[in-house]
Amino acid sequence: MSKTVLIVDDSATMRQMVNFTLTGAGFTVVEAGDGADAVKKLTAGTKPNLVITDLNMPNMDGISLIKEIRKMGTLKFTPILMLTTESTDDKKKEGQAAGATGWIVKPFNPEQMLKVIAKVLPS
Amino acid sequence: MKIDLSRFQAAFFEESAEHVTTMEEGLLQLERRPDDLDLINRIFRAAHSIKGNSGMFKLTAITEFTHLLENLLDQLRTGQRTLTKPVMDALLESTDGLKHLIEAAKTGEAHDEGRIAILRERLTGGAVHIEAPPVAAVHSPRASRRVKIEWTPGPTLFQRGLDPVQIVKELEHVGRVQTILRGLEALPALADLDPERCYLAWTFVLDTAESDQTIAEVFEFVREDSQIVMEADAALVCPSIACDSVTPAVPTGTSVPSRSTATGDVPPAMVPNPAGPVAKKSDGASIRVDTEKIDKLINLVGELVITQSMLSQLGNHFESPDLPVLQERLAQLERNTREIQERVMSIRMLPVAMVFNKFPRVVRDLAAKSGKDIQLILAGEETELDKTVIESIGDPLTHLIRNAADHALESPEERLALGKPAQGTVRLSAYQEGGNIYISVQDDGRGLNRDKIVAKARASGIIGPDEQLSDEQVWLLIFRAGFSTAEKVTEVSGRGVGMDVVRRNIEGLGGTIAIKTEAGQGTTFLLKLPLTLAIVEGMAVRVGSETYLVPLLSIIESLQPSAGAVKTIVGKGQVINVRGLYIPIVRLYEAFHLEADHTEPTQAILIIVETESERVALMVDELLGQQQVVIKNLEQNFHKVDGIAGATILGDGTVGFIVDVRGMLAISRGVAVAA
Amino acid sequence: MKVEDAGHSRNGSKTLSEANQYLTFMLGEELYGVDILRVQEIKGYQKCTPIPNTPVFIKGVLNLRGTIVPIVDLRAKFNLPPVEATMFTVVIVVVVKDRIMGLIVDAVSEVMDIPSADIQPAPMLGTNVDVSFISGLGRCADRLITILNIDHVLSLEELLQVGSTSEETETVQA
Repeated sequence: MSKTVLIVDDSATMRQMVNFTLTGAGFTVVEAGDGADAVKKLTAGTKPNLVITDLNMPNMDGISLIKEIRKMGTLKFTPILMLTTESTDDKKKEGQAAGATGWIVKPFNPEQMLKVIAKVLPS
Repeated sequence: MKIDLSRFQAAFFEESAEHVTTMEEGLLQLERRPDDLDLINRIFRAAHSIKGNSGMFKLTAITEFTHLLENLLDQLRTGQRTLTKPVMDALLESTDGLKHLIEAAKTGEAHDEGRIAILRERLTGGAVHIEAPPVAAVHSPRASRRVKIEWTPGPTLFQRGLDPVQIVKELEHVGRVQTILRGLEALPALADLDPERCYLAWTFVLDTAESDQTIAEVFEFVREDSQIVMEADAALVCPSIACDSVTPAVPTGTSVPSRSTATGDVPPAMVPNPAGPVAKKSDGASIRVDTEKIDKLINLVGELVITQSMLSQLGNHFESPDLPVLQERLAQLERNTREIQERVMSIRMLPVAMVFNKFPRVVRDLAAKSGKDIQLILAGEETELDKTVIESIGDPLTHLIRNAADHALESPEERLALGKPAQGTVRLSAYQEGGNIYISVQDDGRGLNRDKIVAKARASGIIGPDEQLSDEQVWLLIFRAGFSTAEKVTEVSGRGVGMDVVRRNIEGLGGTIAIKTEAGQGTTFLLKLPLTLAIVEGMAVRVGSETYLVPLLSIIESLQPSAGAVKTIVGKGQVINVRGLYIPIVRLYEAFHLEADHTEPTQAILIIVETESERVALMVDELLGQQQVVIKNLEQNFHKVDGIAGATILGDGTVGFIVDVRGMLAISRGVAVAA
Repeated sequence: MKVEDAGHSRNGSKTLSEANQYLTFMLGEELYGVDILRVQEIKGYQKCTPIPNTPVFIKGVLNLRGTIVPIVDLRAKFNLPPVEATMFTVVIVVVVKDRIMGLIVDAVSEVMDIPSADIQPAPMLGTNVDVSFISGLGRCADRLITILNIDHVLSLEELLQVGSTSEETETVQA
């Protein structure tokens, strides 16, 4: 059974690229267009093994989404990776404080993404 | 395995184009509502998206430039900068610059560095400070050595979704690991154990040739709330690692570093939009579909319509006790097919807003250039049109709007002197009526000057010195190639190469354009367009043994003339008198070299059609009835034929031709049809 | 009858020396042939819709499963006197570059294998058909087959001629 990854990003291009990379690596991918959409899908029953989320999104940004996910019982311990364009410590700290597991800095190449995922997701 | 993301470049360019549009529209709105925080955030996010994605394709010019836009926008939203006119101009022109960079990247051409450099200056106020991209850490392998790592995670480790097992697994990739479990003494009794809390700690003994940096990276995500003590041979890079001699460490419990909370308080200047964020319709669920797929689907539906209509025709000729049931079922089939057709056609329909949206900017720039005060009012933007029509309508509309702003509208001083408000208004509206879409471009400017037009036409020899023309005929003169009464040829318009192209474009779409004007009050251009291009409503007519289709859009009326109404004009052929207007008669059997039943107009049927605001009477043997037909391309396997607009499959399976009304008009004038 | 399973790409631009199979057909007493790879299908003859203002040899258009296909009367194109259609008259649908067209012929014969060794170039004089239309003369089992260069016969320039070719022959004879 393949693992499911929820990718949350308001850029369709980014979602497509991540989807392509992950599906090629054997994952099942679910897409959401922003935090609110992600919450909708999660409450409707999507059970991801990993969540990758952008930070800058309309309707509910990444940090808020991370906090929301940590409130959901079944997803309390699910690894969450932030997609961030900033390599400065501020955003990383803020994310971790909200409950994020780790981060992937944009721009990234697909191999880097898979490496980071391998770090946090038991295979 | 190298994963290639270049296939997503097209999607990136498309998405970025949308983001740029968002930015431009947002900026124009921001001009009127400079304190709208949601608006600024929306513009910021669009720029941020472009920046983030462009990096994925190594389009550094775009990344760096967007970064500067981002910085300025950020300063605006935190109140560090105020939105003055120069700042707004810089932002708008930089958005143009961004458009240019994206286009250059798309076509592979070099961008205009001079232009970008100037914009860069304006965005940064001269302090050009391009952040060096983060330098990737250099990993230099070392000789194999033994490293001892003591890791004491914070108690909330699990709540960030972290799993110590993963750390161990990763270390095993770095070298040979021996794991020693610590902290068992600190474990409370089972009953008091909080399963969500991390009590344990570990010591790792690692034999590796990898660099310290590589080792440190294993702990990258846990470093924040852990204690890590690493004993190694050489200088250490990570801040929380100390060079201690190792003693069995007693877990000192949590040493959670205090986190500074970013207060991020909103400066009083910026407030969230009280009306709530303006949600864009496109935020709803949607999927992108290849237009080729849609085109193929539409073709198939067209075939379905033809087959269904052939069946219906067949059903009319059956003799059978089952006939009523058959006919009822065929009628049901027809209803289903019609509905499928409507729904499929609607897939390709897009709101006119897609075209209208660029005009606020166009008008703003025109107003600035000419020193006039112009207001653009848009109405009916949600009216939907077929995608192909939308794509073609932009140029003609732009031309009409430019004319209005440039020539029709007077300067503020002139207007005040005339008792008009200083601000001129251009009104662009769209609405659907019957099977057509109407788009009107209306201004409250000077109106067309009849005398000037007539004088110019006489001077150019278009009309004779004594020729008398009705008002309607005078207005139509402006559609002639090379015609312009503009005294000044501005950069924008006045060269007279526009209006004929406008009309040709509109008619190429199967539409018509009409003018209404009043001296001193203003002018209105009314465009009438069919809802879709692929299907034509036609009147089937019989000429001899052949069936032709005349587009319904062009038909004014049909009649059988009385003898007295038909006149012969020497050198010009026969004409028919319809309510005082003499209309030339075109015999279809002559134009198409056929044998017709009737050669006398009084025994045949005349169909009065109109194009280019001129009328022609087409002579046919019989009217067969209205039909909706799918237009088929004759050029695909053959070539263009004069007088034929296209072909279609008739109900009996044979090919029928659609009459090119403009071609008929040319024939009546005795001129070759222009390509 | 469809001949799609020739197994090669339909528009393959094979030179005469490589092509081996030809669909042969009759125009009067003469046998002609076209490269089998160019033939999409063979239809029974049916009345076409005439196209106005086109040369005499363009009979009209037919509806081929939704596509409008122009039909050329080869007899007229080669200046043969017209005949009544019989039950053997067929339309051979061929592919010329990216266009599909139909040829009316008196009867279809068979698919023949003619090795390039048995094909001679067309002589400059003495044929009833314009030399540029002929790829070569083939011989198979004692029969002479005029192999047509379809690209040339149905080229755009040929199709765009307005005014019949019979006028030209009259001028030549005079």
